[in-house]
Amino acid sequence: MSHAAERITLDQWDRRYAALRAGGLCEPAYGGPLRRHVADGNSRLLKLRMDNSPAALRLWNFLLSEEQRLHQARRAGQRLVGAMKDLGTVPVMAYSLDGVAAFYADGAWWLPCLMENRTGMLELADRLGIDDSFCPVRAMLGAFVSQAHFPLPDLITCSVGATCDDMAVIAQRLATLNFDIFWWEMPHRRPPDPGEPGLVLPGGFSAPRNQVDLVRAELGRVRQALESLTGQSLTDGRLAEGIGRANRVRSVLAELRRLAYTARRCPMPALEMLIAEMLAIHFCSDQAESLLVLEELLAEVRSRVQAGEGPLEESAVRVFWVNPVADLRVMNLLEDAGGRICGTEYLFCHALDPIPEDLPPMEALARMALADPMVGSPVDRAGRIVADVRRFGAEAVVISRIPGASHCGLEGRLIGEIVGRRCGVPVLEVEVPPISDALEPALRTRLEALVETVKEGRAT
Amino acid sequence: MICAGIDAGSRTLKIVLMDADRLAPVASAVVDQGVDQDRLARDLLEKLLHEQGLRRDDLQAVVATGYGRKLVQTAGTRVTEITCQARGVRHGVPEARTIVDVGGQDSKLVRLKDNGAVADFVMNDRCAAGTGRFLEMLAAQLGTPLSRLGSLVGQSRTPAVVSNMCVVFAESEIVGLLAAGVPPEDIVAGVETAIATRITAMTGRNLSEPILFTGGVALVPGMGEALQAALGRPVLIAPQPQLSCALGAALLAADRSAERR
Repeated sequence: MSHAAERITLDQWDRRYAALRAGGLCEPAYGGPLRRHVADGNSRLLKLRMDNSPAALRLWNFLLSEEQRLHQARRAGQRLVGAMKDLGTVPVMAYSLDGVAAFYADGAWWLPCLMENRTGMLELADRLGIDDSFCPVRAMLGAFVSQAHFPLPDLITCSVGATCDDMAVIAQRLATLNFDIFWWEMPHRRPPDPGEPGLVLPGGFSAPRNQVDLVRAELGRVRQALESLTGQSLTDGRLAEGIGRANRVRSVLAELRRLAYTARRCPMPALEMLIAEMLAIHFCSDQAESLLVLEELLAEVRSRVQAGEGPLEESAVRVFWVNPVADLRVMNLLEDAGGRICGTEYLFCHALDPIPEDLPPMEALARMALADPMVGSPVDRAGRIVADVRRFGAEAVVISRIPGASHCGLEGRLIGEIVGRRCGVPVLEVEVPPISDALEPALRTRLEALVETVKEGRAT
Repeated sequence: MICAGIDAGSRTLKIVLMDADRLAPVASAVVDQGVDQDRLARDLLEKLLHEQGLRRDDLQAVVATGYGRKLVQTAGTRVTEITCQARGVRHGVPEARTIVDVGGQDSKLVRLKDNGAVADFVMNDRCAAGTGRFLEMLAAQLGTPLSRLGSLVGQSRTPAVVSNMCVVFAESEIVGLLAAGVPPEDIVAGVETAIATRITAMTGRNLSEPILFTGGVALVPGMGEALQAALGRPVLIAPQPQLSCALGAALLAADRSAERR
């Protein structure tokens, strides 16, 4: 820890960066001042407050340089795999091979926020018949068609079935535009019937044996597609090594979350923790570097926790957050209102769990994929949230809905009722569009009221 | 010792002056909102103080609440409407366990603990369907002052069915009902039912009684009955429902002032 921890604006980051450079800061190739990303169109940065550590600088630069990294990979002759909606499975397989970079094309859903709706991607999706009655992930459709962001992948995979209705519709539309999509099926997870052979999945959900078999067979087809793409054999040995590498990322992240969410004083702001969690599922197109980025962040967090320092007041209300926000600024708003993040369920919490290393690799990946909270009952999802709310000692829960996202519309209310009843903490549901400026007073009131409610409860 | 609560709501600005030693209101006032909320609040506060023979220096503490609370520089502290409503209700109707508050632009449901503190709350989203805005639109459509809607509703024999929950679409529906010759009083009754139904959609399954109705919309005759019918439970209308939030703010100002002493 080199500087008192605080959240700073981009203007403040300009001065901080100059001071760090003058002090001898060493940066990776993608380093540099954060200001340059505004020149690339990411104007939302001007309205965010970010952590002031060199570790956070590296994290932001790593995230915001992904498009350049993908283009460099293409120029270097690497094979690109665009994985959609499996959240934590296909990239693990892809990074088990040489010369492959995998990425989540659906990650483009944050571009309208980062570029403050100046991408034209949503308008393009509108013209293709995918309007705002769908999740903002429809921005991905615009990104594919415009080719203004990521290069076209050599292989596009997409899981369908129980994963996400919106995503299925958007990817189907993409397929009609002559994008060749490798579909694989994900069944709706259910507990085994009485007498039916079943097993417990990572994270604690259960499923019938035959569902795991089905997913394993489907992933077997993905394995063949990856082998055909690269001309390499994706052996069990290679997969086991790939799983080991993914687990190293996950273990660093698990420690980061444990420290950040249980410390008396919050050591790392919500925005940086959100980005860190995302790295566990897509590695930002560079698995090895994502590990280094997370390790540096962990070192910073460890140092702050030991010193009892952090960017927020120690009295900040401990909030568990459900679903990712379409507008990153809302994570700042929570902290401005007097809250801090103590636990999250951003729809991919299964990808934060270690992949079993004591099972045949394809069996382990199949079980992991089926542990996805999105492919089961919302009651399952609520159960995991309840366990994590208790584990991290959260005092309140915020469920943020994504406009148009079918999962959020259907599940939020039910999850809220279950979590509120079982945990006895206030639960707040809010809707967050990609740019929430016009709603900021309303969002701020809700978050401040939640903080006041918890603080009044503490006092009594 | 005198304290004040200022509720800078979306349609009106309310102030309650409180004798903090007796925890009793000494004066209150309501004015329509304007662009310069701070000036509006300052002027109204000065007027109230003057009427009571008081000076600005006599004020020990001022708490602002409402959507415009950040703009009211006169206040030393800003607190959300949720906390203020709960404090006001705890003082006036301590047995209440649920507050349904319907204002000009939003509606909220606050569940209270046995000690009157907030257990949790729900607020409507961007849609204005369950709010006073719906009634304002209706009054404009019927060419009737808002204050007359209440007297109309008492004459309704067959309330119209207003199916659209969106104010914009409902406006078209009301035009259609008028064109079909549906009497205005039946349309008013239908809209009140639609608002109440929208509010009940926020409530979920756990609703503890007594239920208290606050906010400016509670003043509209017929709304309490419509809400009661939609909830299927008895609903009490708060004394001076439009002022309950400002009262809570004044009480919080008194609480904070007492803590400092």
